[in-house]
Amino acid sequence: MHTPYHAPFWIGLLVGIASGSIGPFILLRRMALVGDALSHVALPGIALALMYHVDPFYGVVVFLIAAALVIFWLEGRSRIPTDAIVGLLFTASLAIGILLIPNEDVIESLFGAFPVLSLQFLLMILLAAAVLSTLCYLMTRQFLFRIISTDLAKVNGFGRRYDLALLLIFSMIVALGIKLVGTLLMGALTIIPASIAKNISRSMRAYVLLSSVLGGVISTAGVWIGETFRLLPGATIVLLGIALFLLSLPVARKYAR
Amino acid sequence: MTDEPILEVEHLSVTLDDVHVLRDVSFHLNRGGAVAVIGPNGAGKTMLFRALLGLVPYTGKVVWQPGIKIGYVPQGFNVDRSAPITAMEFFLLLSPAFWRPPGSFANHLDQELRLVGLDRRILKKNLGELSGGETQRLLIAWALFGYSDVLLLDEPTAGVDIGFEHTLYELLHSIQTDRGTSLLVISHDLNVVYRRAQHVVCLNQTIVCQGPPVETLNAAALTSLYGETGYYLHDHEPEQEKKCTHPITRLSGSAC
Repeated sequence: MHTPYHAPFWIGLLVGIASGSIGPFILLRRMALVGDALSHVALPGIALALMYHVDPFYGVVVFLIAAALVIFWLEGRSRIPTDAIVGLLFTASLAIGILLIPNEDVIESLFGAFPVLSLQFLLMILLAAAVLSTLCYLMTRQFLFRIISTDLAKVNGFGRRYDLALLLIFSMIVALGIKLVGTLLMGALTIIPASIAKNISRSMRAYVLLSSVLGGVISTAGVWIGETFRLLPGATIVLLGIALFLLSLPVARKYAR
Repeated sequence: MTDEPILEVEHLSVTLDDVHVLRDVSFHLNRGGAVAVIGPNGAGKTMLFRALLGLVPYTGKVVWQPGIKIGYVPQGFNVDRSAPITAMEFFLLLSPAFWRPPGSFANHLDQELRLVGLDRRILKKNLGELSGGETQRLLIAWALFGYSDVLLLDEPTAGVDIGFEHTLYELLHSIQTDRGTSLLVISHDLNVVYRRAQHVVCLNQTIVCQGPPVETLNAAALTSLYGETGYYLHDHEPEQEKKCTHPITRLSGSAC
């Protein structure tokens, strides 16, 4: 299978690194499931974009940013059960998306494909992934502060705007990977490298670095295996990641204190 | 201590879910001063701190002197035990250079750790693995590390051993004298309040009494605050408490 400019490899590498960079914060905030559900919201975005003959990517970006804002708003309301509402809202968007997307595009939207992109579009995705990864590193201190104690963070001047920043960066990274990995599996790509790295890291700095590296390695290796054996890239990447996670478990047990 | 107020609180009220947690609380803290907040469980002491720090919505006035640095020592925190966060990284939150801290950072850190009786080896430990007492000492060192103008300590001796309890109050006293740090302390230890605080605020949803401890902490005030059985008033000074200048001690006893 030939794709111009080796686009899947480059996307796999840079979006994989970006997913690995944000993953530790999503896991430690205990938002893994919210993150997974969030990627489903992309589906109606894809449907609308296809209806209006716009590149689905733009529909995805708009819907994911909106979803990030909804989660942020819900988190600020203590009386609303966030998890139940996120579950309902995002499953509803999955259902709406499935009904609206033409049959021939459903599988690609759900599980991704080897994307055929213009050079300009590819460079835009790669640049965005690099910028988002860098932001994760620059904001590690603020994100970690809010993970350890939101009270201490706020007293030191790091308020809820950093929660919003985390959600927005996360939703943008999910948007970048959706063409390759698909709406159903992209959430998993942000969680898997972080879950493996958590098993074998002893400090936060090592954790974020290792998770980024693993994100890049798993994604490019998944793309290579997928191309070689003519398998869907998204599913291959996710299964490879989960296999590595299982291998990391004995190490986690060794580290268990 | 000066008469210059670093914090002024007027008619502070907090209502959460239609329940009045605090009503009409007014007091002030002078620069370099020490104010103790006492009261039974559920009196709203921690909520008072949260309101002062802007962590919960309130009505009334809370005026901090502009530009002052506030250090807060909460009653411990819950960090996921499996989270790979070292105690060192907890301190690095205070450094803008989180990824590559300068060498001076470690030296300064050593000094503050020694003050609270911790060894630097603790820095490599996982934050979620520390015992309650270690966490409490670490939180105090963390608050000291920032060279705050004022420290808000929420029951700083909860979970620590008697020996450290005594050391801690000596330490707080020396910080107050040497660094001019103002202290606002929630404490159950009436002896410490009596000896160390310049001002005591007795809280039970609203202010029951306040003033200098010598004048304020009498049997009538304590009975109205804690009820008949909540505290213990000695008729005479026991042998081991001769150093104490006042015959009040907590029921559970304390290092006087």
